[in-house]
Amino acid sequence: MTVSVDRPVLEVSHYSLAYATPEGEAKALDDVSLDIRHGETHALVGESGSGKSTLAWAIMRYLPPNARNLAGRILLSGEDILGKTRAQMEELRGRRIAMVFQDPSSAFNPTMRMGDQIAEVFIRHRGMDRKAAWAAGIAALEHTGISHPAEIMRRYPHEASGGEKQRVVIATAFACNPELIIFDEPTTALDILTAQQILDLFLRLREETGVAALYISHDLGLVARIADRVSVIHKGRIVESGPVSEVFRNPKDGYTRALMAAVPRPDNRIAVPPPTIEVPVLQVRDISVRYGDPGWLARLLGSDGNLFYGAQEVGFDIRPGELLGLVGASGSGKSTMAQVISGLRDFQGEVLFGGRSFRSRRDFDRVYRRDVQIVFQHPDASLNPQQTIGRILSRPLRLYGLTPPSRITQRVAELLEMVLLPAEFASRYPHQLSGGQKQRVAIARAFAAEPKLVICDEITAALDVSVQAAVARLLMDLQRKSDAACLFITHDLNLIRQLAHRIAVMQRGRLVDMFDVADSNSSNRHPYTRALLNAVPIPADLQEAAAI
Amino acid sequence: MREFLRSPVGLVGALLLLIVLFAALFGPFIAPYDPQQFHAASRLQGPSWKFLLGTDQYGRDLLSRLLHGAPSTVFFGLGATALGVGAGSIIGVIAGVVGGRVDSIIMRALDGLLAMPELLFTLLIVTFLGGGTTQAMLAVALTFTPGMARIARSSVLSVRTREYVLAAVARGESNTWIIGWEVLPNALGPIIVEATIRVSFAIMIGATLGFLGLGAQPPSTEWGLMVAEARQFMFRNPWCVAVPGIAIAITAMGFNLFGDTLRDAFDPKRRRS
Repeated sequence: MTVSVDRPVLEVSHYSLAYATPEGEAKALDDVSLDIRHGETHALVGESGSGKSTLAWAIMRYLPPNARNLAGRILLSGEDILGKTRAQMEELRGRRIAMVFQDPSSAFNPTMRMGDQIAEVFIRHRGMDRKAAWAAGIAALEHTGISHPAEIMRRYPHEASGGEKQRVVIATAFACNPELIIFDEPTTALDILTAQQILDLFLRLREETGVAALYISHDLGLVARIADRVSVIHKGRIVESGPVSEVFRNPKDGYTRALMAAVPRPDNRIAVPPPTIEVPVLQVRDISVRYGDPGWLARLLGSDGNLFYGAQEVGFDIRPGELLGLVGASGSGKSTMAQVISGLRDFQGEVLFGGRSFRSRRDFDRVYRRDVQIVFQHPDASLNPQQTIGRILSRPLRLYGLTPPSRITQRVAELLEMVLLPAEFASRYPHQLSGGQKQRVAIARAFAAEPKLVICDEITAALDVSVQAAVARLLMDLQRKSDAACLFITHDLNLIRQLAHRIAVMQRGRLVDMFDVADSNSSNRHPYTRALLNAVPIPADLQEAAAI
Repeated sequence: MREFLRSPVGLVGALLLLIVLFAALFGPFIAPYDPQQFHAASRLQGPSWKFLLGTDQYGRDLLSRLLHGAPSTVFFGLGATALGVGAGSIIGVIAGVVGGRVDSIIMRALDGLLAMPELLFTLLIVTFLGGGTTQAMLAVALTFTPGMARIARSSVLSVRTREYVLAAVARGESNTWIIGWEVLPNALGPIIVEATIRVSFAIMIGATLGFLGLGAQPPSTEWGLMVAEARQFMFRNPWCVAVPGIAIAITAMGFNLFGDTLRDAFDPKRRRS
């Protein structure tokens, strides 16, 4: 297929789309225009609910039945695809437009070998027979730099790692040399180091094939590195569009500027002053957690299960008023440590807190549990949907007898005010609040107990960039006022360097490195720490990165 | 609730249920004749102005019999389900909350019971307890218990690992408080929905038992028994089989549609805030 150079591969002009809901039409895309030329990468940046995925599905013509095209055109190499029938679109998908999804673990049919799933594309769109398709699949996989492509082809999805699966997804997308590939946050579900490799792969394949790419992301640092042009989408409207270097160096729209200001920069410290008391409030010594202990029946049958360690001989301490960052890839045991300290998981080893020693989960009494509070990752799951916010916030007050019953309503209002929410939220239910508001309530609940240590388990991971920054600032503010220590678990190395005094790094259940934030770039860092730090672009270089 | 009535399936289900419940509550008072009164002159007749739904082999008015049979049929279904769901939920919640070995033992025992076909199991119990409405009701309740226990347990298990329950554990709440305030209110949805759908099964099994002569005994006006008694006259007057048969079908369908819509309404993915 020849593509003329001046005709854009994808043209979306003044496209509007709405969803029909019982409450009337809800506009999801409003007068969206963008075009992508051959060999160009166009980034689409926006927060959740901004309509960026809707646009991707609109281009693929794979929309729920209640979607309505209101106006505008979508052209693929000059052909109008809005008027195409379903059969015509099916012919198009995979051959001329391909898509790479966010989560490689759900992009495959779990009951089919991955090889069959690549081969299917060749059989369907290239008319190959099974054997030729299989060989073509191996060649395509080889191209992604995967080791043992023939073996990966024979595996089922559950037998491959996330990174391997995403490589197979990308190989499948590039299989028929499509004109356009839509990437929907292809690295968000992967851990930092794997994401880095996938990005390198994307850059290489783009270079080789000259495909036009629409790259959907919320990560401005990443966009600065890989995209040629960028469009910022907000509430279904494109608020700013242009070459990456121009948009990032000189953002014109207020929303773009706010988005850029919200990106965490390690040099922009917002941490509370460093702790002055050297006596630690919490010490953990040689903590080990075993998973997969065989049950009594399995033991009886002589099987020893598949035992592995979630954490192995981990030890660290936290001083009063300190913020200790705990970082690592997914599965490194960070959350396991949070569960041990908050008394949710059995462990071996010793936890020392306030001069007392605890050697098992059952030793933790209510006094300890009041002093150590936890905030979870998912704001949607951490509040009981059947209870009002007021009831949720009043529970720690009643449980620990902190406030006389007559003053509870007043105290709940104070707590809401403390996390910058209006007092009338007390009578609302969690589902009436946004994700960021719910996370504020969860934080208020933790601080309601007037704790000495707050564990934050990836509390910003499920939130949008701008909300993330606000929640981080709020946490710092509360820490300053309450003098509580904080164990902040995250995988975002830029954010943690803004907040923490010291950083502990975990890898495969072990603590591999521990250092003061000021020393993050010193030469005696553990190689794994250095790899993690090198894998994330520092947003202070947004402009420079964009300039290249 | 507005959402509920907007769905056509839910509306039809609710309407059917209303009709059935009205018949169950007021049927005996609005019936035109005594259900046991013989009209020897007009046996096995089709619908007429005198007998709106026709008569059976003894000339008894089918409409009156139907209306008199409604309470026993419907309350049989409700009663059997309530008993079964109650017992099943308690067992399931205990298994789910206590966990460990208790859970394993309870669930393996229930698996054994579940391996038996439902109707066969009911028949077995009725054979032990003897025929009659109360016995049949107990039998159906017993049959429902293992399935309901499974559903209650899985519902409890899925709620138990939610972060708000973990938060309560980390806070140091007592077990009773966690179960009563955090787990149960959120685990109840699937149990209620399943119960609604099961009412229709209970009514059908009840009718089947009546038909087989193992449930209600003559001269009761239980619908299944009505079908059984009229069977031999089916070809001379199809109405005397069709009328109670259709009544059973409508009742079962009403509960089924209602339960389906209830399930959708409880599904948080479909719920709009």
